[in-house]
Amino acid sequence: MTQDLVRDADGGLVIDVRGPRFGAAITSTVLGAALIVQGPVGIGLVAWQWLAFAIATFAGLAWSPYGRLFRSVKRRFDLGAPPATEPEGPPRFAQFCGFAVASVALVLFAVGATTAAWIAVAVVLTLSLLLALTGLCVGCEVYLVGERLRARVGAADGGEA
Amino acid sequence: MDPVLLRALAVGGLVVLVLLVGWVWRRRDGRLRHSDAVGHQQRTARLHGDHLAAVGLDLTDAEAGAVLLGSPTCAPCDTVKQVLGDLAQERDRFRWVYADAGEHLRIAEEHRVLRVPTLFVVAPDGRIVARTSGVPRHDDLRRVLEDLGTAA
Repeated sequence: MTQDLVRDADGGLVIDVRGPRFGAAITSTVLGAALIVQGPVGIGLVAWQWLAFAIATFAGLAWSPYGRLFRSVKRRFDLGAPPATEPEGPPRFAQFCGFAVASVALVLFAVGATTAAWIAVAVVLTLSLLLALTGLCVGCEVYLVGERLRARVGAADGGEA
Repeated sequence: MDPVLLRALAVGGLVVLVLLVGWVWRRRDGRLRHSDAVGHQQRTARLHGDHLAAVGLDLTDAEAGAVLLGSPTCAPCDTVKQVLGDLAQERDRFRWVYADAGEHLRIAEEHRVLRVPTLFVVAPDGRIVARTSGVPRHDDLRRVLEDLGTAA
């Protein structure tokens, strides 16, 4: 299953650029369905998605269930060589962001804050729709805001900004 | 109305909204802004010597330079690096460097950089000739560099 994985000179995984968007399309479908049906089935779908994010984040994109599905679809329908490849770092970071917000949603479900939990799910759905439908790099848009905040907090603590 | 139908409509609305945002974003992404639009009022914007030194751009004997501000988790930044690499092969007096925007917040703040990748094209004296946010088009950049090459 993993024989078709490509690594760069440093041993980092290199992936087909179409993979993350394919994965985001499935994520959007799963979370969109979850938001529509809600109830135990909806929460089950969110839990599954959380697991998919967790695997991709902590085991790497080579193990991502949607990544595996993409590779088998690629073979089955002969989608051809990747138009371009990219290092797995940025999309893996995006999976981590999805994992973080999905975790918040599950905690909110657990404590009974159902409405707040579905809002968190809607946030993840929005971000994955942005990737699936537009290819927009959300991490790029928020990076500097985050770094500036960090520098400011560091300065307030008396540390080096 | 049936709540399931209502929620389906809400999710559908979200899809439409995301498509609209994506359309607007794609129209603006990578658009080249020339110095007259970049300069703050009368003062011409430039990357100062200490900023150029901080990112490690040496413009000695160069006819043009470029500073790309990016981040470690930014896939479009790699695309811009490829564009710059291609242009550097065409023009041997063009120098460019990549710098992590998070490590050069003073440059980002002085020049109101809000997102990565942001690219500054500079003349040998550090004057900012053009800037882009997102992935610029080869031809747009090539034209700017050709103008600089003629001026040098």
